[in-house]
Amino acid sequence: MMRGPKPSLCSEVTMQRRSGSFPLALAASLLAAAACKQSTPEKSSATAAASLPDKIVIGATLPLTGAEARIGGFYKEGYELAFEEAMKAGGILVGGKRIPVTLQLLDDTTTQATAVSLADRLINVDKVNFLLGTYSTALVQAQSSAAEQNRIPYVNGGGAATAIYQQGYKWIFGLLAPVELLADAIMRWLDIQQKSGKLPKPSIVAVVWENTSHGKDFRNGVSEFAKSHPGDYQVVLDEAFELNAKDFSALINAVKAAKADVLLVDAHLPDYITMQRQYVTEGMCNKVLSYGARGSEKQAADALGQKNVNYVLSAVWWNSQLGSKGLNKHFVDIFRAKYNRQPEWYQALGYETARSLFTAIEQADSVDREAVRAKLASMEIESILPGGKLRFPAEKGQQAHNPFVVQQNMPDGSAPIVYPPDVANAAGVAPRPDCKG
Amino acid sequence: MARGLELLLSAVLLAGLYAMMAYGLGLIYGVLRIVNLNHGGMIMVGAYLGWYLHERAGIDPYLSLPIAAVVGFATGVVIYGGLVRYLPRGPAGGVQSLLLLFGVWLVLRNVAYLQFTGNDQAIRTDYSTKAVVVLGSALSLNRLIVFALAALLLVALDLLLTRTYLGKAIRAVAQNADSCRVAGIDVERIYTFTFGFGTALATMAGLLLGTLFPFNPTFGAGELLKSFVIVVLGGLGSVLGTAVAALILAIVEVFAILLLPAYLTGAVGFVLLVLVLIFRPGGLFGQRVLG
Repeated sequence: MMRGPKPSLCSEVTMQRRSGSFPLALAASLLAAAACKQSTPEKSSATAAASLPDKIVIGATLPLTGAEARIGGFYKEGYELAFEEAMKAGGILVGGKRIPVTLQLLDDTTTQATAVSLADRLINVDKVNFLLGTYSTALVQAQSSAAEQNRIPYVNGGGAATAIYQQGYKWIFGLLAPVELLADAIMRWLDIQQKSGKLPKPSIVAVVWENTSHGKDFRNGVSEFAKSHPGDYQVVLDEAFELNAKDFSALINAVKAAKADVLLVDAHLPDYITMQRQYVTEGMCNKVLSYGARGSEKQAADALGQKNVNYVLSAVWWNSQLGSKGLNKHFVDIFRAKYNRQPEWYQALGYETARSLFTAIEQADSVDREAVRAKLASMEIESILPGGKLRFPAEKGQQAHNPFVVQQNMPDGSAPIVYPPDVANAAGVAPRPDCKG
Repeated sequence: MARGLELLLSAVLLAGLYAMMAYGLGLIYGVLRIVNLNHGGMIMVGAYLGWYLHERAGIDPYLSLPIAAVVGFATGVVIYGGLVRYLPRGPAGGVQSLLLLFGVWLVLRNVAYLQFTGNDQAIRTDYSTKAVVVLGSALSLNRLIVFALAALLLVALDLLLTRTYLGKAIRAVAQNADSCRVAGIDVERIYTFTFGFGTALATMAGLLLGTLFPFNPTFGAGELLKSFVIVVLGGLGSVLGTAVAALILAIVEVFAILLLPAYLTGAVGFVLLVLVLIFRPGGLFGQRVLG
C-alpha cells in the first residue's frame, strides 16, 4: 500500500495569499510557482502505463478575494476535501497504480480577465493535466472559452446559466443544474399547494428578477411553467432590476399594485436583504414569497431578523438534510470532521465537481485529455446531488440536470426540505400565516 | 395619483441618501480641485465602523456618527498631510491625484478583506424595518432619518461656508489660492481642513448607508460613481447644487419606472449626465463656487 505523499507545495501556493504578510506570501508564491513549473508532469501519452506521470496536477481558480470571496472560500473547502480524500486512498487509480493528485489553486479575484489569464497560465505555463472550474456564471462563462480553445477537460460546479452550455463546447462540463429548474421546482411545490386548495386558482404571480443570465433563466422557468399550466397561473408582473440597487420602492410599489398572490424574486444576497427590508417596511405580505436560491442564509436572518424571513421559500442545488444515508452521509460526515460545521451547497458542489473529475480519470484509466473528456461525456455515476445520479447529457450541452431541493424558513430558525416529496421532511406552509387580512 | 405621491416621497428620501453620499466629494473638488477617488473607500470604512461599533460595543449607528466624523476627519488629515499635499496643483496634478487616491482606496479595501473577509455584513437595529405612515404611505424610519440628516447637513454646510471666518476662507481659497496667501490666509491649513472635512462627510455617509444596505469591502464603488454624477450634475463646487442635483436624479430614476423597465432606471442618471455635459458643461448650477 502506498503512503500518501506530503501535501503538495503547489496546492498551498495560493492558500498562503490569504493570510500573513503580503510581500512574504507573494515571494513564496513566486518561488513555489517556479517549483511547480519544474515538477509539473509532462503530458502523458495516455495508454502506456510506462508513460504515466508521477503525479496528476489539476488546476483551478476561485474567487478567493473580491465580491465572491465568501463563496469562493466555500468551494475551496469542497475541493480540498475531495483532494484530501483522494490522497488518503493513495491517489487516483490509473494504469493499475495510485497516482498522487494535487490541486494548483489560484485566486481569480472575482474578475473575468484574471480568471481567463490564470486559466491560460495553468494550461500553457504550469501545464496542468485538467481544470476544475471557478465560481459564478460570469467567471465560468469567461473561463470556459480558454479551456475549450486549449482542449482541456473543464469541470465546474459554479456556473449555472444555460448560456454557458449552449455554445456547442465539447470540453466544458457543468454540475449546476440550470436556474430554470430552480424556478420549476418552486412552481411545482406551488402547484401541490394549489391542487390541495391552499392557493387560489388561478394564482396571480409577480416575477421580479435580477438583470443577469441567472435572473433571465429564473424568469424563463416561471413563465414556461405558467404557460404549460394555462388557467392555473397568471403572471401579471414581469420586471427586471439592476444588481446592487439602492432603492426598490418603485418596484415594490408595482408589486403592490399587481395584487399578486405569489411573489417570486431572483436575487443575490445583498439585493435580497435590501429588497426584503423595503418589502417588510412597506407592510407587504404575499401568500407565497421566494427569493430564488436565497432565503435560508444565516446572514439574511441576522440582517433582517428571523420574523422577517419566516416562510420564505428557497431552492438550492443541495442541502445537508439530504445527508442521512449513502454518499451524502459520507460527505456530510467527512466535512463535519474536517470543518466542524454543516456543509452548504457550495462546498457540496465543490466536492462533487472534483470527485466527478477523479472518477472520469479512473474510468478512462489514463490522463489523456481526450480519453477523460470522453468518459465525462458518457459518465453516469452515483452522486450526492438530488436525484442520486450524475451525468452530463449531450443534448443539454453537458450541463447536469439534477432536480433542486426547495426549503422553507420556519419561525424556529429551521429550513426543512418541502420539495421534492421523496426527500421532503416537511410539507411546507401556504399561504403564509403571518400575513394580516 | 396615490402611486404618484408614493413615488414622489420615495424619490425625496432617495435624494437625501444621494446628497449625503455626494457632499464630501463635491466639497473636496470645489476647494482642492482633486477628484477624491478614495471617497468610495471612506464610504466603505464608515459602513464597517458603524457595524463594528454596533456589533462589538452595542452603540447605536446614529450615536456612532460623531465617532465616524472624528475618525474620518483624522484619516483625511493624515492622507492629505502624508500624500496629497505633495502632488502638483491644478490640472498638472490631475492624473497623479487620481492614481494616488485610487491606490489608497485599494489599500483600504484589501485591509478590509484581511480584517473582515469578503462576507456581506449588515447593521440591524430594532428600527431597521420600522415604518412611519406619511400621507398614507409607509416610509422607512431609517430613510427618513437619513433624509433629515442630509437636510441638516446642507443647512450646516451652508452656514459654515457663508457665516463663519473659516467658511469664508475656504470659499476664498477655492476662488484664488494665490491671492489668499497674499492676504495672509494659511492656504495649506484650509486645504488640510477641507480634505479632512470632506473625508469625514464620506465616512458619515458610509455609516448611514450601512444602516440601509448590506456591504462588503467592495462597497463604495457604486456610491462613488453615483456621487460623481450628482456632483457634476449640480455643478462642481456647489453645495446647494449638489443637493438639488441629488433630488433631480432621484426623481428621474424613481419615476423612470413608469416608462422604462426597472433595470434601466439606473442608467437614466448617466444619460442625464451626458446631456448636462453637452448642453450645460458647468452643471445645472453653473460655475458657482461653494455656497
